[in-house]
Amino acid sequence: MDVDPSVPDLFIPPPCSDIVMETIKVESPIIEEVKPDIVETPHPSNVLEKNVISAVLQICKKYNLKKTEEALKSEVHVSPDMVSMGSDSDVNKLLSAYKSEGDPDVYKDSYAALLKFVENSLDIYKHELGTILYPMFVHMYLELVYNGYKDQAIQFMETYGPKQEDYYQEDIQKFAAITLREQMRSSEIVETFKSNAFIIRMSRDTVSILKRHLNEKDHSVLLNIIKNHLYLDMYEGVARNKDQIEITAGGMVGEARREDNKAKVFYGLLKEPDLQCFVQAEEDEDGDGGADADKPKKKKAKKDSLFYKKSKTDPNAPSSDRMPLPELKDADKLEKVKALRESSKRVTLSAETLPSICCYTLLNTYYSVSCTEISEDASMLAVGFADSRIKVWSLVPQKLKAMKSAEQLQDINLEADDVLQRIMEDRSAETTKTLIGHTRSVTKISFSPDKTLLVSSSVDGTVRLWSLLLWTCLVVYKGHLTPVWDVEFSPYGYYFVTGGHDKTARLWVTDQYQPVRVFVGHYSDVDCVKFHPNSNYVATGSSDRTVRLWDCVSGSQVRLMTGHKGSITVLCFAIDGRFLASAGTDNNILVWDMAHGHLLAVFSAHTERIETLAFSRDGNILVSGSQDCSIKLWDFTKFTEDISFDDISVCHNPDIKKDGQYYLLRTFGTKQSPAITLFFTRRNVLFAVTYKKSEE
Amino acid sequence: MSSTNATTNYGTTISIESLKVIAEIIGIPSLSDECGKELSEDITFKLKHIIQNAMKFMTHGKRTRLIPSDVDNSLILYNIEPLYGFSSAEHIPFRFASGGGRELHYTEDKELDLNDVVLNSTIKYPLEASVRSHWLAIDGIQPTIPENPPPISKDEQKLESVNPIANLKKKESDKESHGKPTTGKIHKLRNVETVHVKQLATHELSVEQQLYYKEITEACVGSDELRRTEALQSLSNDPGLHAMLPRMCTFIAEGVKVNVVQHNLALLIYLMRMVKSLQDNPTLYLEKYLHELIPSVLTCILSKQLSRTPEMDNHWALRDFASRIISQISKAFNTSVNNIQCRITRLFSDALSNESSHLPTIYGALQGLAELGPQLVKLHIVPRIESLASRVDKVLLDSSSSQADKIAATQIKNLLIKVLTPVLKNSQPDIEKYENEFGSLAHPLYSAVTKARTPSLSGGIGSRT
Repeated sequence: MDVDPSVPDLFIPPPCSDIVMETIKVESPIIEEVKPDIVETPHPSNVLEKNVISAVLQICKKYNLKKTEEALKSEVHVSPDMVSMGSDSDVNKLLSAYKSEGDPDVYKDSYAALLKFVENSLDIYKHELGTILYPMFVHMYLELVYNGYKDQAIQFMETYGPKQEDYYQEDIQKFAAITLREQMRSSEIVETFKSNAFIIRMSRDTVSILKRHLNEKDHSVLLNIIKNHLYLDMYEGVARNKDQIEITAGGMVGEARREDNKAKVFYGLLKEPDLQCFVQAEEDEDGDGGADADKPKKKKAKKDSLFYKKSKTDPNAPSSDRMPLPELKDADKLEKVKALRESSKRVTLSAETLPSICCYTLLNTYYSVSCTEISEDASMLAVGFADSRIKVWSLVPQKLKAMKSAEQLQDINLEADDVLQRIMEDRSAETTKTLIGHTRSVTKISFSPDKTLLVSSSVDGTVRLWSLLLWTCLVVYKGHLTPVWDVEFSPYGYYFVTGGHDKTARLWVTDQYQPVRVFVGHYSDVDCVKFHPNSNYVATGSSDRTVRLWDCVSGSQVRLMTGHKGSITVLCFAIDGRFLASAGTDNNILVWDMAHGHLLAVFSAHTERIETLAFSRDGNILVSGSQDCSIKLWDFTKFTEDISFDDISVCHNPDIKKDGQYYLLRTFGTKQSPAITLFFTRRNVLFAVTYKKSEE
Repeated sequence: MSSTNATTNYGTTISIESLKVIAEIIGIPSLSDECGKELSEDITFKLKHIIQNAMKFMTHGKRTRLIPSDVDNSLILYNIEPLYGFSSAEHIPFRFASGGGRELHYTEDKELDLNDVVLNSTIKYPLEASVRSHWLAIDGIQPTIPENPPPISKDEQKLESVNPIANLKKKESDKESHGKPTTGKIHKLRNVETVHVKQLATHELSVEQQLYYKEITEACVGSDELRRTEALQSLSNDPGLHAMLPRMCTFIAEGVKVNVVQHNLALLIYLMRMVKSLQDNPTLYLEKYLHELIPSVLTCILSKQLSRTPEMDNHWALRDFASRIISQISKAFNTSVNNIQCRITRLFSDALSNESSHLPTIYGALQGLAELGPQLVKLHIVPRIESLASRVDKVLLDSSSSQADKIAATQIKNLLIKVLTPVLKNSQPDIEKYENEFGSLAHPLYSAVTKARTPSLSGGIGSRT
């Protein structure tokens, strides 16, 4: 792993983030007014700005980053005295987000008063007011710790910590671990809370009630925190009730703001390429076989309906030139025709006709298998191991073949019809092949749509591209440096996206060494990434308990969705591209509407972490596999029928389907072996990949 | 995570005691309390950080248990050299020790002789990963094959037989997640029906199951010992037998009835082995079928004649075997409601006290009681030793008694000594008392008890520590 040699000490925070944070909360306006957008830079003449720059220079000096220092100097035209002006204490002062408040007992009293105020307020406002309690609690605790009142802080934590919602307890544990000021500097979550305003959505009425209460008495502590660390996103209308609030709560730094989900998302599917000429050509060949005149005609008529069906354009679809996509090669077209043929034999699934499930169990992989993946045509199974190997199995009778050596390839007649078969070496055919190259645990694998490439991510911080013709590594993409958790090929190939421990997701193209887009915004690890079926968007799920959608073209975040109560482990787009299902450590499956970013439903029946989700090829059934050793089938047709799209508007959440078991069709138990990959073949047979949990 | 759970976890720190011990190990004899406090705060904070990150590696490793390599990965993330040599996939238990006013938790760290490791060439090569496929469901129906979990788990079987009300309730709310798939037709019918007619419970077996039943029963009572072993193996391991259980039990009960009359010892043994296999199957819950099984097993213990030539055959072994089964059953299924143990004991006790019971029956009753535990031996056998002894003596001394009876009497005598010795062992043997209470058995018992006591005195200390 690449390691920055200038950071020898444990837990030294990345040097620049604090300063960025300081620029953000300059002059917070009073509560009811909407704050300026956080990326807006303050006026250059601001005194603070100077201090910030001098602080940055200090840090540059400290870590010996001379070039950066010079670049910055030349950019802002600093006078030399400014550099000397900033002393170490200045830096510390800037790093401090929490001013001393004097009496430590004030915190406890004002929190108790706030709690009482919330409890005594009218029922309609009570729950919305209650959302302020958690961020208030955290910031008060941090202020106590920062000001060195360790005992009071611990007492405060013990008194009010257990009263917070269950889904915040994980974070509270992290805060509770911090009892000293020095520890705050190395804590990631404190960083996040200091540098980002906690977002709370409130109706206008609720805000005014809160404001009146705070103005009534002297609540300087509360006012300060609200001013510095909270962002009240006000909306017109009735205050939400308890259920409505609870269902979208859970994000690490609060809910999504209204602006977050305002951008238009083209969630429709791209137009299918015209395969007609191809089919025609094939048919001519078929016709040569000497069949009588009637038969081909019949065939043709049938196929026409099959291939012409998708000629209508979807108004929600992005234009095909919005994002440059690779040209289809002849081989790809052939494959597409084959896929369409096969899908015509597909069983349409419904509540009455449930799928057949073929279960592949990995043996002798006790605790060593870390990921599995099945190629789109269900011909190959790739397994990534904790010991850094990748093994590929052939699931069909055809064995895995490698290409012939260069000398042998020269002898092949390029004009031959079966040139693609001829280039393969028959003698090397095996049912499994092993790819060795990573240095630590493999975290995710993805096949390219044409099945000639495989991309894999690893804890060693690299992403590797493998050729499935040569069975060797082609490219090592370095960029994340810290563990990469997920990787996925675009459904159109060429692009792939990764997400990692460094809180970023990156978009890459196979022929460039550097990422073409870096999606920054998550507050914690990006645990899973998923391409939208039209390849124009990427969805990411993170340990900060949010799901985000990014535009690959502009690189900006277009959707922010909160509601998960644990980190998100898997995402899956519905076949039509409108809905996104996500699941995670909170054992729930959440279904989102991409059109407005609303939460539509919560499916909860699993009792352990959910590892995988899959939609049937006809989009009728959603399946989920979990660590509780069960596979559950959900009726997605019924769900889409039940949603009324009439009452959906931009600012209002539609009714959220909360009855977790209502759409559950069936549960299939597996024998002590959790399903870690679920996959529907083109004919709608469900493949499950499991591993034995117990040692046998 | 429940909030009550969380309260206990806030602010936990490594105790200063532990730190002092660790300091001692690395050669710092006296660590001051203040120093320990500072260290403990710092170390706790860092440990928590490391573990929190290690959890991420666990999640991405698709596991539910944290393993040492997760911690290693987390350390690498912080630029710290990982701890080599702790890669164990198994659970390492913390052991507790106290003494010298200190309480310690430690992990056992065995010392290995390097020579052993180097010279021992039979190091097991880890098995290569492989893939195996099976049908988890076919058109929405889960086939009952060993690869799939049993259609009804043991807990559910238990609930069904113990608490029928819960079962009824469950049926109403359950969306038929087991058994046949929900079809639209059934749903429709249900909505239309106004009068709920309780359906007759039909236990239909599929063709495969019928075939299996035929094969298994044939193999179990057939002449091929190899096939029988396989069949019994299948009975004790297969998960999908639940549906066939009623038929199996009836087969056993009927078989015992017929073969006891015909004195077919071999078949009775085979049937008892079937009971044992079913009992051993971890996915079956036999409670519902005890009314068939217990009488059959008891018959094999208490019947006056089990083989055509009782003086030749070792029907004693069958009685012993059946006794073990009955004691297992009674241990597994005895509740205050069904009182199985009490009822069985009474049966044995009656057989013992009944003057007209045959000698083999008495043997069976003795063995049965002995298997149920020493407490029952004390309660039911010890007071009857004298009468039993006199009866045995009468047979042995009487020249007119048959060969079979004589063998039986000897067996009973031996059994009595074997069973009684451990019970009487606890008190000092007294030959006069024995003569008063045990009649002719006094002397053999006395010598057996004294013999049993002597080695126990010398070996007692060693075994107790």
